Amino acid sequence: MAALDVNQLFTDITTAATAVVNQDIATVQGFSERQVQAISQQAALVSSGIVSGQITDATREFFLDSLEHMIQNFLATLRGLLTIALEKLWNAVVGVVWNAINGAISAATGLVLPVPVKA
Amino acid sequence: MPTANALTAIRRSSALLALLLTLAACAVRLAPLYDQALVQGITAANADTLELLASASGGTQKTRFDEREPRYYNLIGRLDALAIQAGTRPPPKASAADAAVPSQTALQAIADSLRKMSDTDREQGLTEVEVQAFRGQILIYMDQALTYEAALERY
Repeated sequence: MAALDVNQLFTDITTAATAVVNQDIATVQGFSERQVQAISQQAALVSSGIVSGQITDATREFFLDSLEHMIQNFLATLRGLLTIALEKLWNAVVGVVWNAINGAISAATGLVLPVPVKA
Repeated sequence: MPTANALTAIRRSSALLALLLTLAACAVRLAPLYDQALVQGITAANADTLELLASASGGTQKTRFDEREPRYYNLIGRLDALAIQAGTRPPPKASAADAAVPSQTALQAIADSLRKMSDTDREQGLTEVEVQAFRGQILIYMDQALTYEAALERY
């Protein structure tokens, strides 16, 4: 049975994890920047509209409540994106480990264990 | 009576099975599955909503609300349906069952925004700034819904 190369496994895990992290960090960063900018502009628009009277009594409370709600859901979406990244990271690492085990055992045993991606 | 070789083989197989079960238990799904039809529905509703907002960009008169009413109803109905679709996917076993799906919350908020816009339009018309504020709000929620749903396409 071929021995599992721990140093190679470490390198492979690092490579897989870095690829996932880099891709998902870019998504999270881009989303955060867009949201912060848009929410800031929305707050400025609503406040100036209240001062000018263009935001009427009929919609004022609605827009103010909505600002709070959209910030809450911005954070919930961020948490969701990070959860997806964590899932991908976890499964990528499991996949690398699984492949390393297959490499170590398949020649001697004939077994090829399927790499689990999703539970 | 099993031979020494047979015992070794049994032990090896047992160890492999234990390893298989242990690692299989490690693979997880923490978020809902990707739904291409849902993303297509959101994208189409987004385009139609922006079209309605563009047509009202200078503000509206309540006397002409009847012309816009069918478009409001169509969009509100579609977005309510999309919110339900986003929330009725089987939840991942590894997460809290009551955890809200952020795209569902965003889609429901867009439908609520259009409902409020329609009510105000009917009762008194909309100022130019109110239309801008509805547009800004809807775009923020739409970005939340589409970004989250797109991220669910993991592989």
